[in-house]
Amino acid sequence: MSLLRRPGMLWLALPATAVLLFTYVAPMFGLARMSFNRTLPGGAMQPDWTLATYAEMAADSFNLELTLNSIQLSFTATTFALLLAYPVSLFLFRTESRFRSLLAIIAIGPLLVNGVVRVFGWIAVLGDRGLVNSALLALGLVSEPVRLIYNWTGVTIGLTESLLPYMVLALLAGFGRLDREVEAAAMSLGARPWRVFVRVTLPLSLPAIVLGWLICFILAMSAFVTPKLLGGGRVFVLATQVFEEAVDTVNWPLAAALSVYMLVLLLLFLGAYGALTRRVER
Amino acid sequence: MIAKWLSTAALIALAAFVAPSAQAQGQTPNTAVSGTITLVAYAGIFQDNYVATVVEPFQRHFPNVRVNYFPGGTSAQMLGTARAQRNDPQTDVIIMDASVSMIGNGEGLFERLTPADVPSLNELFPEARAAGGEFGPAVTFDHLVLVYDTQRVQPPLTTLRQLWDPSLRGQLGVSAPPNIQGLALTVMVAKMEGADYRQTIDPAIRRLRELAPSVQTFDPSPDGYTLILNGAIRVATGWNARAQLIHDQSQGRLGVLLPPEGSVYQINTINVTRGGRNRAAALAFTNYALGQEAQKAFTERMFYGPTNARAQISPAALARTAASPENQARMIPVDWSWMATVRDQWNNRWRREVIAAGSR
Repeated sequence: MSLLRRPGMLWLALPATAVLLFTYVAPMFGLARMSFNRTLPGGAMQPDWTLATYAEMAADSFNLELTLNSIQLSFTATTFALLLAYPVSLFLFRTESRFRSLLAIIAIGPLLVNGVVRVFGWIAVLGDRGLVNSALLALGLVSEPVRLIYNWTGVTIGLTESLLPYMVLALLAGFGRLDREVEAAAMSLGARPWRVFVRVTLPLSLPAIVLGWLICFILAMSAFVTPKLLGGGRVFVLATQVFEEAVDTVNWPLAAALSVYMLVLLLLFLGAYGALTRRVER
Repeated sequence: MIAKWLSTAALIALAAFVAPSAQAQGQTPNTAVSGTITLVAYAGIFQDNYVATVVEPFQRHFPNVRVNYFPGGTSAQMLGTARAQRNDPQTDVIIMDASVSMIGNGEGLFERLTPADVPSLNELFPEARAAGGEFGPAVTFDHLVLVYDTQRVQPPLTTLRQLWDPSLRGQLGVSAPPNIQGLALTVMVAKMEGADYRQTIDPAIRRLRELAPSVQTFDPSPDGYTLILNGAIRVATGWNARAQLIHDQSQGRLGVLLPPEGSVYQINTINVTRGGRNRAAALAFTNYALGQEAQKAFTERMFYGPTNARAQISPAALARTAASPENQARMIPVDWSWMATVRDQWNNRWRREVIAAGSR
């Protein structure tokens, strides 16, 4: 019998469900409702039930550009985070060192620091007078500072770093199927370590990779602080556009419509993830 | 236009004209009005100085009224608060940017004000009253300036045109639209190029495209003043009042220039929330904030241009606002309600033509 079908078990889920209803579902309905209001030429918002804002959004080719920018940035940062986190996670999963817990804490340590503070840390490290440029200039490798922030490069670096702890956690959680004995069996049959990794370890860790990649991709798509602070006004993605419409131009219906659009986009990715997971499991 | 009334202001201030009604307002404690009101306005140094020069003196004149100052974030966030509390307002008076209060006026969030309710309205410059129409008028005037690092920009900055100097390549912080600093800069560059921004901004966009490679960031965070003081950039766009204050705090490290090519006003309006819980006290506070005493005190503390024509500002403080005779002639009139209709178009041109040219 499934755990949830046992009498009384559903009640255990009630508190969390109630909290989610109040803090997430209800505001999301409010947001969706806002997107149907009308913005008058002077900027005033008029309660209404109109699709005018969605029509305006669809007609503006800049929104397609924003979507592609968001997907490209999220894809790149998530993939870099995966490549960097995978060996670390595998080591943490396999090591029998008595410092294993300490090492795991170090790997996810950045989560203990506020995201805005981390971004300002990157500005200090990657800026014209930062650590990296000072070293490059001191070594005579460059004659003038290399621009590492206030552009796509800076945002990609910052976003990759901010995703790393989540990727490590997701991979560690998903490595459950990795069995040393299967790898030992492959080696006993003459497979070299690299071949064991490609034919055994990697396929067995695919569910973890898919899980980690999806979680981080969704986080990257909705990331706002890093593109805003490290982008220098040059990096336009959906999340920064929502902020701009809500705070700078005070066009709340458009900000709400863009948010609903982002949500639908992410649901589509989740659907694709579900399909991919079923295929991996088969 | 605005230059004319500021000229009048300077003359009036220098002539030390005193209105009897204002003197009485400043000296006689009023116990007839009582209760608590919530004032929503900007945080940080604005709050510190506004409390010291306006809120606390008001409470001395109206000992039975208590003013709770609530730092409301940006003007858009304040509008959000007013929108959310439309049916049960928790705020009484809101000070915000005119381009945003205009939206609130259109949505019926704020009260119409008359001289019968707020006698100080009769003392305002016509343009200050016009900034809010029948609603809350201008309470401060500010203007766009260029701020620069006096230690690393030699010789000192003297013109807007100097921004295109190759020695400043990669050293600029320019707030792009939809930030109103970017809109104001577009107006200034159009004038520099001999164009009327109401007709076309093509010449301005062309020049700004040439400037783009020199811009390190189009979104200075936390602001241009900080980036200059920590050595990240050398020149930025900024607002005069804060720049003047930081100039003093940094012992002159931050230089402030109102370019001879011209500048544009930023206007803050004071608005009484419709349906507020203590209308009488809200009106009394609004009247005091627009009165001569408060206008003089806040201008002399923070260098915002006064909106009360009869306020007697010290010549030293006046010289550091756009109200000084020398500065007022440089100001370019901008109708922010008109600007709201072209803002998206200008924003798109910046993104596609200016910022794109500065991508690195």
